[in-house]
Amino acid sequence: MTAARLLRHETILAILTVLALIVLANLSDKFFTAENLLNQGRLMSEVGLVALAMTFVIVTGGIDLSVGSILGMTAILLGVFWQNVGLPLPLAMVAALLCGTLAGLGNGLIITRFKVPPLIATLATLALYRGLAEGISQARSVRGYPEWFFYFGQGELLGVPFQLWLLGLLTTIAGVILGLTTFGRATYAVGANETAARFSGIRVDATKLWIYTAAGFLAGLAAVIFVSRVTTTRSDMGTGLELDVITGVVLGGTSIFGGKGTIVGTALGLILIQALKNGLALSGVKGDGTIVVIGVVLIAAILAGALFDRNRGG
Amino acid sequence: MSNAATTVPIGRTPFRRFLGGYGQEIVVLLSIAALFAVVGAVNQRFLSDNNINAIFAGNAYIAIAAIGMSMVIVSGHIDVSVGSLIGVIATMAGTLAVSGYPVWIAWVAPILFAIAVNAGVGALIAYTRIPSIVVTLGMLSILKGGLISVTAGAWITNLPAEFMIAQMRPFGIPSAVWFMVGLTVIAALFMRYTDFGRAIYAVGGNIEAARAAGLNPERTVVGVFALHGFFAGIAGILFATQLQVIQSTVPPNLELTVITASVIGGVSILGGTGTVIGSTLAAILFACIGSALIFLNVSAYWLRAVLGLMILATVLADMARRRRAR
Amino acid sequence: MGDRGPAGALPTAASPAALAFPIELRGASKSFAGIRVLNDVSFDMRVGEVHALLGENGAGKSTLIKILSGLYRADEGEISINGRAVKFATPREAHAAGIATVHQELLLFPELTVAENIFLGQAPKTHWRLLDWQAMRQRARQLLDSLDSPDLDIDAKVGTLSIANRQRVEIARALSQDARVLIMDEPTAALAEADVQRLMDIVRRLKARGVAIVYVSHRLSEIFALADRVTVLRDGNHVGTLDIGEVDENRLVSMMVGRAIDRLYPPKQGESGESLLELRHVAYRNVVSGISFDLKRGEILGIAGLVGSGRTETALTIFGITPATAGEILIDGSPVTIASPEAARDLGIAYIPEDRGSQGLIRTQTISENVALANLKRLSTGFMVDAAKVRKEAENAIRRFGIRARGPDQTVRELSGGNQQKVVLGKWLATNPRILIMDEPTRGIDVGSKAEIHILMRKLAGEGMAILMISSELPEVLGMSDRVLVMNGGRIVATFDRQDATPEAVGAAMTRAGGEKAA
Repeated sequence: MTAARLLRHETILAILTVLALIVLANLSDKFFTAENLLNQGRLMSEVGLVALAMTFVIVTGGIDLSVGSILGMTAILLGVFWQNVGLPLPLAMVAALLCGTLAGLGNGLIITRFKVPPLIATLATLALYRGLAEGISQARSVRGYPEWFFYFGQGELLGVPFQLWLLGLLTTIAGVILGLTTFGRATYAVGANETAARFSGIRVDATKLWIYTAAGFLAGLAAVIFVSRVTTTRSDMGTGLELDVITGVVLGGTSIFGGKGTIVGTALGLILIQALKNGLALSGVKGDGTIVVIGVVLIAAILAGALFDRNRGG
Repeated sequence: MSNAATTVPIGRTPFRRFLGGYGQEIVVLLSIAALFAVVGAVNQRFLSDNNINAIFAGNAYIAIAAIGMSMVIVSGHIDVSVGSLIGVIATMAGTLAVSGYPVWIAWVAPILFAIAVNAGVGALIAYTRIPSIVVTLGMLSILKGGLISVTAGAWITNLPAEFMIAQMRPFGIPSAVWFMVGLTVIAALFMRYTDFGRAIYAVGGNIEAARAAGLNPERTVVGVFALHGFFAGIAGILFATQLQVIQSTVPPNLELTVITASVIGGVSILGGTGTVIGSTLAAILFACIGSALIFLNVSAYWLRAVLGLMILATVLADMARRRRAR
Repeated sequence: MGDRGPAGALPTAASPAALAFPIELRGASKSFAGIRVLNDVSFDMRVGEVHALLGENGAGKSTLIKILSGLYRADEGEISINGRAVKFATPREAHAAGIATVHQELLLFPELTVAENIFLGQAPKTHWRLLDWQAMRQRARQLLDSLDSPDLDIDAKVGTLSIANRQRVEIARALSQDARVLIMDEPTAALAEADVQRLMDIVRRLKARGVAIVYVSHRLSEIFALADRVTVLRDGNHVGTLDIGEVDENRLVSMMVGRAIDRLYPPKQGESGESLLELRHVAYRNVVSGISFDLKRGEILGIAGLVGSGRTETALTIFGITPATAGEILIDGSPVTIASPEAARDLGIAYIPEDRGSQGLIRTQTISENVALANLKRLSTGFMVDAAKVRKEAENAIRRFGIRARGPDQTVRELSGGNQQKVVLGKWLATNPRILIMDEPTRGIDVGSKAEIHILMRKLAGEGMAILMISSELPEVLGMSDRVLVMNGGRIVATFDRQDATPEAVGAAMTRAGGEKAA
């Protein structure tokens, strides 16, 4: 019953996505080309990686507003570790990733240990992590990375961008974890009824801690790919990322109240948004204007979800 | 009962009530004083007229936006779109001013727009029960994207002199400061002495008890957001008129600064408590810290990290206090 | 305290004759989802009277109270005030008619001061229509003084007050609205003994002032000390209304329990075995303390006690939700540490919680998802949940407990209360527990399911399971238990073997004020 119901949202979304693709392909002949589509895939990878973790976060009934700041901080640390500290670049990558992961762990600890609502905890760390990025970088950008490093963000494997392979792999893993494992069951249980989950012997705090830590890790991974793609490190990287990510996840059918959502839905949500942005840009809407669409789509998706829930007599 | 029969105290002395009701405000005020004393001792120029003017007048719009934000947070909600709204208001006012409309229309029309937009946001939050963070995140991108796509980032210049309200100096004090002080006092009295003001606290403190006491929480939330729009509108006008150009973009992270001012000024992020005096003082404190970093030869790029730490510390202290009270 | 004179805000008994019957409820009935929870009940209040309302959980007391306070509307019957029929559509209209309620979950604003909490929504104003704080504080002071609470700080935030003081604030709030009828729903349930005495003094003062008080309590000693009349409800029916002089404790208990002895409970099968679970001086903070007992294989051990007596808290400590802060827990004679529900489960302990909706089930999920939740490890290979095993387990539970559902994929919230409870049982019995703690195992479920669960409990005990049962329903405790522990004030105050456990003896130990040791 529930599986069918969950799938229904994904089916609608899939149909919508296909329709959008058809309409956009008709609007511009540049849209439906392999080159454009692969390039769009490249552009959505960073948001996509973070959205995987965000799906888990929102399914537990939480939220993480600090992912964009973690991305910025990790990017800066990568540059600083390499250029200023003098670590070999592979080591700098590992160290920066570790810091991103720790930033996520920090969120998790504030939320589980001190019982600070996730919204507030991550609002505070949004400022803190971005502030650390700015303070450490002093607005200096880092450039001059070696050529091999650009493979992560610009390279191709069998004609497909490297980060799309990575995104595909991690999406599959995340989908399996959320849909098929004991951890996934625990995640849904925590979001649907935290008390009942605790009373059923689920390790609620540990589950949340893992999830926020994973969000930090994936934001860090996105940072490395971002830096590799744009060949430079700046402290304002990832500003506003949380909005894109949350929109994709919620559009994908994950309930902002927790307990409901799938990775497949998130993937579809992201594709739809990226297609809309790209399609609108190609049909002449000015670059940043497309984020209006994101805002409208976000509110509309949740409104529809809320009304849908009410009609079901929940 | 004779009026003279007040020899027996009915409650706490006024002084203790003041301490109990304004603890966080006093802490912030003392911090400002300490900052002035210390930084002033290290670098005399920190206390110069110019610098003090810059601190107060240049940041008044933040304090004014924080008044409305405080009301929103006291009512148990949040608004992350206020920075974008201020950007839109500023651009709208500037455009009207250079298009030849009377100055008062350029001032008033954007404020009415802000009230209308935020009342709509409030209604959406109150009646559909969608969390305010989600609705205002959406508004953030609508306003920001809308602004950029309409203006394409073009600056507005050649603003008429009589439009520049923030630069006027009645009685030798910048009008932005007059606005900040006046609106803070009015809002503080409003929050303390009117039914609507107290309803904001009631709804944010315990929505079920508020309903049981005969209040209408939905209407209160819509009203709070409309008021918040009013203050954001004024903040936008002051922001538009403090420099000779309007950049037609959204000031980066303005919403965060505004929220932080409210929270550090003692407005509990869980709703139900805090005052606008605190948020105004906190806005001044930030401006002082930002300025002090420069005078102490510390890079201003650390400012936001300091703010982040301060929010975190305040929130953790608030959680600890609430747990103890329970 | 000086001469303040009569306080203007207080109700006066100026014209008691006109208010001979301030309020009367006649022939009230109410059903929810086709189940009749109140059946032709009549109830009336006289001026300056304390009218006690008595009955077991589920007897219909709270429904009756909610009808009087305007939260529910009766399906049948009418309310009249001074002989005139009235209809309350909202709590506000009930307030306007002079009926105020002190709810069990106090409806206050923790961040606002005492004075403001009393007057919120009806504060005194200056002629500028602004709040007059000075007048508000003064009137708050007068109200609290009139409640014999001159020590209560009107400028303190309510969040910093004790429960007893918060309750006084709520009573003051009710009085500030000129309440002529005050409904108090188990006001002493969460109070310490000294506070109970003060509350009773306050009730007497109000009574002297002409306020009519509906007093709901399980504590018979309070009822005998305070009430003028008592109305007993049972299973939604009006058993009787009597002057307090006409009854004694035994009579009240048997009126409440009624069918106690006439219901058939399944008989014990076999003998109790060796001790399985033992508690030695276990405590959790200052909530429960000095808890010592042992639970034997094949035994059903009942815990009787009022809400707030520490019975659920004891269960939560054994189950690791609130790990013990002192004392020792032994299983099979060796000490164990139970720091989490997970640890408890791994030691073979299962807990069927009292609140099915919030603690027992995830109602938006399916039967199989719920059943799997406590058994994820066993139902998976590595990290992967084995969907086939889960389905089989759920089908097993449906068959074994006779759950009436379309199948394992049905959402739990669509099931009836009894079937939901069987899902909880299915979930926990699938963990193969040796120790089963059941908190209110049959609350709010229909008679048929109730009997099925009782039979199941006996069967499980017969198979060697040790069962600890908590229940507010005295007949259930007496009918099912091999031994009965009575808790009161966070301690075990009495232990009875089956043959000594009479309703009177157990009831007396439960309701004795303050939890002093049983003689």
